[in-house]
Amino acid sequence: MLVCGRALAGLAGLILSIPGVARCQGADSPEGVLRHALQLHQAGDIAGAIAEYRDYLNQVPDNVMARSNLGAALSRAGNYEDAIVEYHKALEQQPGNLPIRMNLALAYYKAAKTSQAAAELEGVVAERPGERQPVLLLSDCYLRLGENRKAIDLLTPLQQQTPDDKALDYMLGTALIGDGQTARGELLVDRILRDGDSAEAHLLMGESRLSAKDFAGALEEFKKALAINPQLPSLNGYYGTALANTGDTPAAEAAFRKELAWDPNDYVANFQLGKLLEGDANHAESRRCFERALAMRPHDRGARYELARLDLEAGQAEQARAALERLVSENPQDVDAHISLATAYYQLKRKQDGNKQRALVLELNAAKQAAVSAGMSK
Amino acid sequence: MRWALLSLFFAPVVAAAADDSACAACHAREASRFRPTPMAQALQTLDRCDILKTHPDLSFQEGPYHTRITREGDRSIITVTSGAESFSVPILYALGQGKAGQTYVFQYDGAIYESRASFYNETGGLDLTIGDQGTTPHTMVEAAGRRMGPGEAANCFGCHSNGAVAGGILHLESVVPGVGCRSCHLQADKHAAAVRAGNVAAAKMPHLADLAAEETLELCGQCHRTWAQIARAGMHGPNTVRFQPYRLTNSKCYDVEDQRLRCTTCHDPHGQINTNLASYDAKCGACHSTALHTKVCSVAKENCVTCHMPKIDLPGAHHKFTDHQIRIVKAGAPYPN
Repeated sequence: MLVCGRALAGLAGLILSIPGVARCQGADSPEGVLRHALQLHQAGDIAGAIAEYRDYLNQVPDNVMARSNLGAALSRAGNYEDAIVEYHKALEQQPGNLPIRMNLALAYYKAAKTSQAAAELEGVVAERPGERQPVLLLSDCYLRLGENRKAIDLLTPLQQQTPDDKALDYMLGTALIGDGQTARGELLVDRILRDGDSAEAHLLMGESRLSAKDFAGALEEFKKALAINPQLPSLNGYYGTALANTGDTPAAEAAFRKELAWDPNDYVANFQLGKLLEGDANHAESRRCFERALAMRPHDRGARYELARLDLEAGQAEQARAALERLVSENPQDVDAHISLATAYYQLKRKQDGNKQRALVLELNAAKQAAVSAGMSK
Repeated sequence: MRWALLSLFFAPVVAAAADDSACAACHAREASRFRPTPMAQALQTLDRCDILKTHPDLSFQEGPYHTRITREGDRSIITVTSGAESFSVPILYALGQGKAGQTYVFQYDGAIYESRASFYNETGGLDLTIGDQGTTPHTMVEAAGRRMGPGEAANCFGCHSNGAVAGGILHLESVVPGVGCRSCHLQADKHAAAVRAGNVAAAKMPHLADLAAEETLELCGQCHRTWAQIARAGMHGPNTVRFQPYRLTNSKCYDVEDQRLRCTTCHDPHGQINTNLASYDAKCGACHSTALHTKVCSVAKENCVTCHMPKIDLPGAHHKFTDHQIRIVKAGAPYPN
């Protein structure tokens, strides 16, 4: 999924044109300081440019473009949090400035604040629906957030306009398979494969196998993808998942760690590594993984549930209870959450409530079984 | 706090490669009573495997595959033949003492395999291993056994032996066959070291007899499966009868906080299973008695478990398992899930 994000990273940049006048010529006048900042920025002296922008903005705080450029310089220096602050200040003065909004979205994206990035990009796409890059980046955000349906809605019209775009096919295929529309997704895989073997196609096929719980089949697809492009973003996260589900947990852990070395915000690698570490009773690192996964997908039920389980393990029953009650109220059919909620109640000496949860679990499992039996008898 | 403390017991089994002789030096009575129990014999080396010694040539036919387990000196070999082809591999360990049955594990191509054929006491011969029903082998190796992943193999040895698993990784070189002191008393090594050092304060360890019902079932359930594990798996039907903590939890008289009904109410963790069913009457009577003004049985006054904990015939297991879901059994009523 980073394919798109990496390609678009270059969008963040200077908004002002650079006259090319050094500070020494313009003395210490605000204009001279700004010119020097721009010159340093263009020359790649980012730390120097940041200092000069700050100096200038202390004197002329209302210059929107200078503030935006400060944001761009901070972003380039990897200081996304401060960049976000500067972009927001600039937008307070010019709320309709789409380039700044786009840069703010990129800063959020790079800071792994995907929800906020998506919110900004939704504004940009609403204003400029025909622009391809914001649409692709927003789709990538949706994929990272697990909001596959939104990605499908956004990408389908674009894919119809440009049917030979493999990157787009890949993103749409990922969303379709993630949404359970396996047959439609595999059609796109076939299209990608038409021009020869590709790692992306095998990754998608593997994801499709994973969603069907064919872990051995998924493993074979991921191995093929790795043979072609071992550095394909997200691949090691999925490969590790297939390994873990076929029982090779040491190799799975190595794969997750490899993915996270490239992209510390990869949801799949964080979530799955968290589960592995939880099994090894490495609760501290497991928690960090789930928290990172949750930061990527703030509404993710899986990460919220696993964090609640860790709270239970740590004796934080009240905290776990609150989280688990939210989970079961959102989805009363969630057997796992009911099971853990029973444990939380028992820990809190609320025996009757715990017993009710256990009774509910038995009812839900019986209903599930009855549905399976009814399906089999048809 | 107690729950937090309890979580220490439930960490994966991590033990130094050692038998229980260090424990036996002080706790000789417990150790000597425990050694002959089925739990202590949960894993057997081939030289000590009575079943394979007394059954030197076992065979099993499954479709085109003919499986034989033959004795050669102190070891046994699984051989699968199909037409002109054959595959042979020595058995590494026998799992289970064989009261109900015994399954075998072997090593092949760097992995641990569970034998597809198991010995069943009732029939005195081989049949499909529980869990393999409904699957079809496609190769000689698959007909011999099912490849286990490293995690599954570690879990398997983690319960059937001690000292074999560290950090979730199986170390075959340090396997001590059977359940040992450390399997339940996870702080045993620390305790022994503190005793040797004369550090009385550090030698203290949790007293497992003080655990509440739910805590006890969680502890035993680490191998016999907890209620949560079975419920999460959505298991149903007579298959669940093998998982006693799950069934006991579903009993109407089970209370998470009440110590009067837990695994150790009836089973001495250091001793043999008591096969005199009437001996359990006193356990039931501790709660159900006219003197206590509690509900008593209107049908009989003895052999409670014969009716209230019926034996369930598990298809394919060639063994009747005691159902630990204590209940009033009604004629013709389906197995309660």
